Amino acid sequence: MSEAAIELSGLGRRYGRQYVLREINLEMTAGRLALLGGSNGAGKTTLLRVLATRLRPSRGRGRVFGFDLVTGAHEVRRRVAFLSVFGGSYPTLTAAENLMLAARLYGLRGAEVTGLLATVGLEAVADKLVRTFSSGMKKRLALARLMLADAPLWLLDEPYASLDEDGKALIDRLLIEARGAGRTVLLASHETARCAPLVDALLTLEGGGLRAVPREVERV
Amino acid sequence: MSSQGPFADLGFVAAVARKDLLQELRSRAVTVATLFFSSITLMVLAFAVGRESALMQQAGPGALWVALAFAGVISAAQSYQSDLAEAAYEQLLIYPIPRATIYLGKLIANWLTMLALGLVLLPIGSVLFALPLTPGLPLLVATVALGTLGFALIATFYAALTANLQARESLLPVLMFPVVVPILLAAVRSTDAVTRLGNAALAGDWLQLLAGFDLVYLVVCTAIFHFVVDE
Repeated sequence: MSEAAIELSGLGRRYGRQYVLREINLEMTAGRLALLGGSNGAGKTTLLRVLATRLRPSRGRGRVFGFDLVTGAHEVRRRVAFLSVFGGSYPTLTAAENLMLAARLYGLRGAEVTGLLATVGLEAVADKLVRTFSSGMKKRLALARLMLADAPLWLLDEPYASLDEDGKALIDRLLIEARGAGRTVLLASHETARCAPLVDALLTLEGGGLRAVPREVERV
Repeated sequence: MSSQGPFADLGFVAAVARKDLLQELRSRAVTVATLFFSSITLMVLAFAVGRESALMQQAGPGALWVALAFAGVISAAQSYQSDLAEAAYEQLLIYPIPRATIYLGKLIANWLTMLALGLVLLPIGSVLFALPLTPGLPLLVATVALGTLGFALIATFYAALTANLQARESLLPVLMFPVVVPILLAAVRSTDAVTRLGNAALAGDWLQLLAGFDLVYLVVCTAIFHFVVDE
């Protein structure tokens, strides 16, 4: 039987008194790719942030590769790479400095920063401050950080946002490569038509729960 | 996946501190604001005290630490603001590193910034308040080092607590100043003992108290930092 990458049972998350996620049940097998859809405010980003251990669940339980999201948060973080919609880079550092910082914080020695920047098309601006970058360039830098992490689970929040067609094609390639490398990918995106052929399952968040699923527990 | 351990943790602390110092070196946002603000504060207080030598020397240590304290609040708040701009703080909290290493890294950066400011303010305060610096200079430097460390320990901790709040600018001083009062009192007394009284033994006693406070705050803040940043 294949290992479960994500197991969520009755998971909920609230901000103040308002529940954004109410009753999430999900079991996702390692090595599969799933698209997380839903309207604005449906809770897609919140779910990804909970899985990345940035937010604690308000109720229910969740495990990533067998590690509890709360009690095993540090182990979860060693297995997860999160692509934020905001980029997550430091404006007053250069692209190369941002990536070298990430390498140090991932505990990687001698990481091939230049090669990664070339992969995402930022080699020529490696020594430019990120504050001079467009939002698309910042997203490309975030993609380089994602690849650097070499994590078995990728959580991607609107990966296509801000990117030109060349950048979107880069995301497509990364998803195909992720499948080949056996990674598990959960991506939140409104680009359903583009993503659908690349993923194994389509999930929809609606009213704080996972909808358009055939059973109480979705098996991907 | 990389192996991790105590030496790796030290590397994480150094990486976070280096990142914060490099950002400050580039933007100079804290340096300019705190130097300008604390210099003006010292000048206003010196003007208010008048030209009577004894009174000036009595008020000098307090004025120096008031200026440093207000500057320290600005410094600590800014160290998180620069992270929040592009959600880099969120990314920092997702890296597979112990929460304490983030605190210690930011602490080192804040402390070095405050220490540098304190060492610049010493001669300014000396001129404005007629404080003799040279006889007990090593003790005075030790006082600034331990006082600013204690202040940075508290300020870095509470700045993290308020980083995601809308009213963070007003909440940060309200929350941290009651806790930091023992540090400020000990630092003022030690400075006074060195500059006005010329009593090295008394300054030593206050320095021991400062070191004790610093140690307690270091252990407590490091141990409970993860409660502050986990939402």
